[in-house]
Amino acid sequence: MRALDVMWVGLGGGAGSLLRWWIGRIVGERYRGSFPLATFLINVSGAFVIGYLSVLFSVDWRDRYGTVLNAGVLTGILGGYTTFSSMQLDAAKLAGSGRGQLALGYLLLSVADGLIAAALGAALARVQG
Amino acid sequence: MINLVILVFIGGAIGAMAREFLMLGVPELSDGFPMAILVANVVAAFLLGLVTGLHKRRAVSDDVNTMVGTGIMGGLSTFSSFVYGAVVLMTASASGAVVTIVYVLVSLVLGYAAVLFGMKLGERGASQPG
Repeated sequence: MRALDVMWVGLGGGAGSLLRWWIGRIVGERYRGSFPLATFLINVSGAFVIGYLSVLFSVDWRDRYGTVLNAGVLTGILGGYTTFSSMQLDAAKLAGSGRGQLALGYLLLSVADGLIAAALGAALARVQG
Repeated sequence: MINLVILVFIGGAIGAMAREFLMLGVPELSDGFPMAILVANVVAAFLLGLVTGLHKRRAVSDDVNTMVGTGIMGGLSTFSSFVYGAVVLMTASASGAVVTIVYVLVSLVLGYAAVLFGMKLGERGASQPG
């Protein structure tokens, strides 16, 4: 790994995190329900994009760096944009407030829809390519 | 506002670079099990729980919470690579489906336990001096 890769990952990670934070604020202003909608939308949309771009540009999912695309966009932007830790925190907070079933449903729905979104993104890129 | 933007950007950059270095340090398993992403996600979940617990009892400021929680841990953990890796694994080999199910379940259970443990640890410090 070169210093340039580290730079792209850092820049992408910063940009992706800002995007996540910004979307979180927008969704938070419009939706007041207890379902963690912002993180859900962010994660599912990020899953779709990583599946789409990976297949479109034939990036092996284990290649994390080396080009601007995989270091800056896939590892950086999408990695910074989507979040696994906030999803778990959302679930733990829901469970802590007595909504254990919603917490479990949220986790399972996030993963199921995330898997479907990633597969759909990959399928779309195959159809195009 | 501009301060928060800087905190989230710098935090996200640090977190993403830390994830990248973690991937170099954690050996890949022969069956393709994405150990590095699992480790990054579980560690981030623990530390996010910890900083949330500390923030709840005002042991860390709002700014630290934003930079570490939203920025660094959001950048360190990843959902996109988690699910895309699972999709690729599923179709990679005959045993792929089993590896995928184990990977997803272990990630969810360990991640959840990690965030709970972190929160408890962060909140419990209240009884300690300082």
